[in-house]
Formats: sequence, C-alpha cells, structure tokens
Amino acid sequence: MKRLQLDAIAFLFIIAVLGVANIINVNKPMVSEMENRALKQKPELKMATVLDGSYFSDYTEYYSDTFILRDRLLKISNNIQQVLFIKESDVKIIVSDKSKEYINVPKATDDKNEDNKENPSDETIPTGTSIPSSTPTPTNNPYNEGDGVGYWVVVDGKAVELFKFNKDNFDFYAQVLNKYNQKIGGKVPIYSLIAPTNSEFVQLRNYKGITDSQNNAIAYLNSKFSEEITAVNAYDVLNEHKDEYIYFRSDHHWTALGAYYAYTAFMETKGEEPITLDQYETVTINNFLGSTYAKTMDKSIEKNPDIIYAYLPFVNYKYEKYRYYQCFDADIIDMKYADTKLDKYLVFLSAGDGTWSKISTENTNGKKLLVIKDSYGNSFVPFLLPHYEEIYVIDPRFYDFNTSEKNIADFIESKGINEVLFVNYMENVNYREFMLSLEGLINNE
Amino acid sequence: MVFSNLFFLCVFLPINLFLYYVINNNRYRNAVLIISSLAFYAWGEPIWITVLILNAFFNYFIGVSIEKRRDKCKRKGILVLAIIANVFVLGFFKYFAFFTENLNTLLDINLPIINIGLPIGISFYTFKSISYIVDVYRGEVAAQKSPFKFLLYVSLFHHLVAGPIVRYKDVEQDINKRALSFESFNNGVSCFIIGLGKKVIIANQANEFSKAFLNMDYSRLPVLGAWAGILLFAIEIYFDFSGYSDMAIGLGKMYGFNYKENFNYPYIAKSATEFWRRWHISLTSFFKDYVYIPLGGNRKFHVRNILVVWLLTGLWHGASWNFVVWGVYFFILLVIEKFVLLKIEKKIPKIIWQLYFVVVILVGWVFFYHTSISKAFQFVSIMFGINASSWSSPEVRIFLNSYMIFIVIALIGCTPVIKTIFGRIKGSMQKKQIGSYSVDQLIKSTVNIAILIVSIIMLVGQSYNPFLYFKF
Repeated sequence: MKRLQLDAIAFLFIIAVLGVANIINVNKPMVSEMENRALKQKPELKMATVLDGSYFSDYTEYYSDTFILRDRLLKISNNIQQVLFIKESDVKIIVSDKSKEYINVPKATDDKNEDNKENPSDETIPTGTSIPSSTPTPTNNPYNEGDGVGYWVVVDGKAVELFKFNKDNFDFYAQVLNKYNQKIGGKVPIYSLIAPTNSEFVQLRNYKGITDSQNNAIAYLNSKFSEEITAVNAYDVLNEHKDEYIYFRSDHHWTALGAYYAYTAFMETKGEEPITLDQYETVTINNFLGSTYAKTMDKSIEKNPDIIYAYLPFVNYKYEKYRYYQCFDADIIDMKYADTKLDKYLVFLSAGDGTWSKISTENTNGKKLLVIKDSYGNSFVPFLLPHYEEIYVIDPRFYDFNTSEKNIADFIESKGINEVLFVNYMENVNYREFMLSLEGLINNE
Repeated sequence: MVFSNLFFLCVFLPINLFLYYVINNNRYRNAVLIISSLAFYAWGEPIWITVLILNAFFNYFIGVSIEKRRDKCKRKGILVLAIIANVFVLGFFKYFAFFTENLNTLLDINLPIINIGLPIGISFYTFKSISYIVDVYRGEVAAQKSPFKFLLYVSLFHHLVAGPIVRYKDVEQDINKRALSFESFNNGVSCFIIGLGKKVIIANQANEFSKAFLNMDYSRLPVLGAWAGILLFAIEIYFDFSGYSDMAIGLGKMYGFNYKENFNYPYIAKSATEFWRRWHISLTSFFKDYVYIPLGGNRKFHVRNILVVWLLTGLWHGASWNFVVWGVYFFILLVIEKFVLLKIEKKIPKIIWQLYFVVVILVGWVFFYHTSISKAFQFVSIMFGINASSWSSPEVRIFLNSYMIFIVIALIGCTPVIKTIFGRIKGSMQKKQIGSYSVDQLIKSTVNIAILIVSIIMLVGQSYNPFLYFKF
C-alpha cells in the first residue's frame, strides 16, 4: 500500500475540519435547548484550578458542551440510538440517572429574560446590582445512593415515569410535615395535597404491576401524619376524570385541568364552593414538547405534541416575585414562556421560581395562605386567587434564608399568614434531595 | 486526557499528528512525542507528572547501572532494591489508605488515613519500568543509553494511562529508529476507529442500560434482571477496555510503533484458564514472566505460585477487598480446572463447557463490579434464585425486549465473526479494483468511516465518560 486509504483520509479530514471549525466558531451557546440545561462555561485560568487539575476537566467539559452544532448532533445521536439498538414495540423503557435531574428547575438564563422584560417594582434597587450569590438552596446534603435511577415508559405516545414506592422516603416526608406541625401547627391549619402522577392512570395493558400503587402510597402517608395535618384527597377526583386531558403526554406535570380537579378537592376539604371552570377565559398554547419528551426523545410523542390550556384569572391581582432582594411584577399566566421550546409549562405562575412570591388580590376577606409547593403547584395556585386576600408562594428549592425570614415559622408570623398548604407531587416525595430542602425550611434556626 | 473525548480527537490529535509528520527528523520527533505525552498526562494530573518523571529517570539510572556491573550479587542487589522502591511508590499511592484503614479496624487503633489520590496510570507505568529493569538484568535487552528515549518509552501517551503494559524489549527498535509507512498509518487509523466505536457505540450504551438493573434496589431485583445486568456489565467492560487497547495500538501504528495485541476474543474461551490467556494479555504475561516463573512456576510450590499471582492480580485492580475476593475466586477456579476439569476435558460435552464458562465469568464480574462484598454475595444469590423477589418482572421483560438487538449485536462483536466475514470479503474481492483502490479495501474504509462518524456524533451526546480501567 503506497497510499492513504479512504478511511485514513476521511479520519484526518474530519478531525482537522472539526478542530478548525470549533476554533473559528466563537459564538458559543450558553444553554442547550434540547437538554434544557445550562452548558459549561469556559473556566477561568487560575493557579489553583490548574494545579488541582479542575481547570483541565472543566475545559474539556466546556469544549464538548459547546461543540459545533451540538444540539443538532444530539438529535441525530438519539435517532441513531433508537434505530440501531432499540426495538420498536408498544412500550419501551428509558432508564435515567436521576441525580442529573431536570425536575423543573428553570435554567440560569431566565434571569436575563426577567431583567429585559420586566421592570423591578422597587426602583431604588438598580437592576445592575450584584445579586448575592449565597447558597440558593438551603441544603447540600449528599445525594442518597440507590434511588439514583428512574424508569420512564413510553406507551401510546405518552411518557410515564414509573412510580416505585420507597417506604423510607415516605416516612421522611411525613416526618418533615410533622415537624412543621410541631412548630406552627397550633397557630395555623396545615393541609397536604399530594399530586399523583400519570403512571397511576395510564393504561399499561399487559404490564400491570410495573408501577406501584400511588393510592396505597398516599394512604400510607396519611396514616403517618399527626392528627392536626389535614390531607387533601386529590386522588379520587383525578381518578374519576382519568380519561380527560389531565396530564401532559410529553411532560411530567399535570395539565391545568388536572390541577383544577385537585383544587376542587381542596375546596371540598375546606367546605367551600369551588369556582366553576366556565367562568374562566382560556388561552391555548400549541406544540408543547416538555421534559419527558426531552428525556425519552421518542418519535411517537413528537408526532403528537401537547396543547396547554391556561385559565386566566378573573380577579384583579398583583403578583410580586422576589429574586433575592429584588422584586419583579409578574403575570400569573406569563406568556413570555409560550415561545420557548421545552419550557412552555413555565407560563404558569411565571416559572414559580421566586425566592419567595406574594400574590395580592382585590379580595378583602383577611385570608392569607402560604403555599409550599413544587412545580405541580404552579398550575394549581392560579385557581386559588378568588378565595384569598394574599397568597404567599415558596418553592423550597429557591428559598433563601439570607433574603427573607430565617425559617418558615417566622415567615408565617411576620406576614400574618393564617393557612398553610403543601402541594407536592409523588416523585418529589420520593426524592430525598427535594425533601431535604423542604426540611431545611423549617429546621433552620 | 482520554482518547474517546472530543478535545483529544479534534484538538490534541490533529495538532500532534501534524507536528510529528511535518518534522522530518527522528530526534525532533521524539521531542514532540515526549512533550505532548507530558502535556497529555498533565491535562488533568498536573502535579503527579513529577512522580512519572522521577519514575522514568530512576529506572533509567537503574538500567544503566545494572548493565555496567559484572558482579552478579551487586546486579541482583540493585535490581531487588529498585523493584522494592518501585513497588513501594505504587503501594504508597494505591494501597496506603486501604492498608491503614484495615489496620485500624483490625487493631482498633486510630491511625490517620492519608488519601493523597492515585496518580493516573501509575499501575501501568510502574509495571512497564519493572519489566524493563528485570529484562536488563536478565540480559534480554540492552539498557537504554539516552534518558530521554527512556522517558519516551515510559511516558508515551498511547499506552500511558490505561495500558497495554508494553514491554521495553518489544519497542526497543521503534524507539531508536522507526519506519513510517502509509500501510502502518492506514492500519493504525483503522484500529483506532474500531476501538473508538467499541467504546463510544457499545461500552457507553451498555453502561447506560446496565444501570436499569445494577442500580436497582436489590430486594426487588428479579433473577432475570440480575443476569441481564451483569451480562451488560460484562459487555461494557470488554468493549471499554479492549476498545482502549485498540485505540492505543492504533495510535502506535500511526506513529510507527508496534504494540502487541492485548485481547484475543476472551469471551469465546471455554474455561477460566483460557479466558486469562485471552484477556488483558499484557498483564497476565507480566505476572507469568516476572512472578509466576521466578517463584518456580509449575516445578515447585505450584499451587502457592498460582495463589500469589491471583492475589496480586486481584489487588492490582484496586485497593479493595472485593478485588481480593475476585482474585481468589479465579485462583480457585484455575486450580480446579488445572487438576480436575482440564484432565477430563474431552469427556465433557462442549455445550457444558460453554455453559460453565458463561456462569463462572459472569459470577466473577459480580465481585469485580461491587465494591461491597455483602452486596456482591446478595447479587450472586439472586442470580441463583436464592432470596430473589421473583424470576422476572414486567420492567425486565420490556427492557429485554427493547434492547435485545443491542445485546445481540454486542455479543456478536465479542466473537471473531465480523473478522471472518471481512476475511472472506478480502479473499473474494482483493483482485477487483475501482480506480486504484481494491474493492475489499473500499468496503472496509466505508465501514470504518461510518463507525467514525457515528462515534463522533454519539460522543457529542455523552458527557465525560472515563474508562473503567482508568482507575487502576
């Protein structure tokens, strides 16, 4: 052989062209639309990071994260994987490491949108001030090994996360809520609403038993609560309406309709009359492919994207969302997220990711509610507006002890809150990390 | 740095190849190789580069001084001290924390546990250096006179961080003067691409898929799930490690070095004995030539010698008791095979042998995978239906149904079938030409290019994926 073979020529050509292309391409992306995450940024060259080697590993990660045409190649990569290795069948399982979770933590760049599109209501704080970067999440306990895998099944064009009952985690949730009860129970009523996920209601045909009963799990949880905590039974009403469009196919959340049924259960528990849906004006957002689509990249889901129906509040309100010390006015149904690709669910409560938030309504009934919620609460809270004068919203993942009261008991006291509601979905009860941050809210002294 | 990484592929390698080929002088080429190898190592382990360089100069000096001396006792004395020094350094980095930890538990004392971290590749380059000084002592190879050429041998990035354990005597000629040819370069590229594909297309997927079972709560793991999980791990570790070796060998050829094969289809073996003749050959032969035979081989203390080799093999893989158990497990198997099974080899039907091999290898990997021995035993008992929650489960059924194609493709990749097919193609197509290329070459090139493109695309989607054998 006195010449280079074609594969050797192609090899040299490809690595050289890709190498040069990546140097020339100075427009490095900050986020991956496909994966819904912030990409690694170019590390700073410092003596310390060079010596411990972290500079190099960060640089390598940055290089592949900002590789040319990365999002497009990612998509091709998924297609290749599905065509080569995965047999088409009526159901398929996707296994994923949950420690790299997407669970509805909006990405860092949202800050920017906010700065551009909204004016801080408090003019005395200029937008340019450096936001304290102190620990945004109250906990950094190590991730519990063993519950590191999640299973997603795709069936009939729907992605479903299989529910695996973990007794320890449920005990822990009850323990955390009982702790809340000890601290605040005598002063305000506490309600707990657990949102089941779609795995309970989807027809799994031959594969019954693949997912654990959420009804039993909720019953187990209720049996562990202190007497003073009132459990809201959202399960039965959702089960009654399970053939309606109460869950997204391509996202792990419930639809606003699902949230509405849960809201009626809450009202029933309190002995109040729920508002009927026909009083609301709706907006429609088409072509929603959400988190579980991103996770599974499944064609059958892609072919039939979701539609978001959002119900616009009819009472006058002011929604103040705090980001650390800054305060922004936001819309309850925030259409700026309607144009994103995977994040359309964030229209509800304008992402619901404030350090804490306050909704004041035109009502003057003196009722002040605190909702401690995960993202399932985002589509739930809007229905509460007609019933309260003030609604405070806290997501334990974003609360910051330095900006507001040190713990929830003080928070409740200082705001004059007279009712507390927990809205969390099944998988977060099953998820240590989330529960630890919930515990942190009340534990901090 | 690792080979299956976009930065290596698109930055390091093209620059390196360009400099290497643009310079037409062996001395400068060596300089390019040394500098880039040190950069390769420093990329991620900047401090430990000192250990690497000290190791190289120390052993260079030992080689020269052994050769200089005529007196047999002195030669032996130097050798023994040098081996002790090498092993001590390796032991210090690799086993010190493990040792103090166990000593603390054993004697109920509280020695501080110093965990300095393991310099990457130290297990590999220490063994390379030891093989060199022993070979010089035995007179099998002349000592290298140039410290830089010796540094080149120890630090060459092809086999620096994850093997193979290339012997100095095998590359002595290449280090002093190597021939570059298109043929060698072509073969090298082909080898490298196949290794890359093994790692990126098969091993990394197998790793993803195996999590479904191996990360499961074992109290709910069904029998079938346990077998599927460990089978996927067996696939992963073979494609991962042999892929790395292929890439190392391929890089060697691109630069004019010839390294021996490190794997020879280990999963088509029929016994544990045969498996170890085909798996990580450079390690097995190291222990054979430098431990087993000097101890007396099969002439005296045969069983003891086997035990020593397997304890060392186990420990070499990591400072953890599960690797010791794994080593002893193979010691027991090898002794049983040697003294019983292989003596009645012909009387045992082939199918029984194959079944036996699959079971013993997969059980072996269970101990390799689990750092916790109790978890490993729990896993093995599930495999054999003891304390298992069930035989199968809907998840496992769906899973196996979806991924069956992958498992079948991977298992075919473990056998020489594809190589045989290419052999046939070559036989029948060699004479046919399209332009100046022969048809068989064109077919091979097309397949390789496809593997390369698919690998690069899949690499983009995979975050940092170090090699399994990286930590040894």
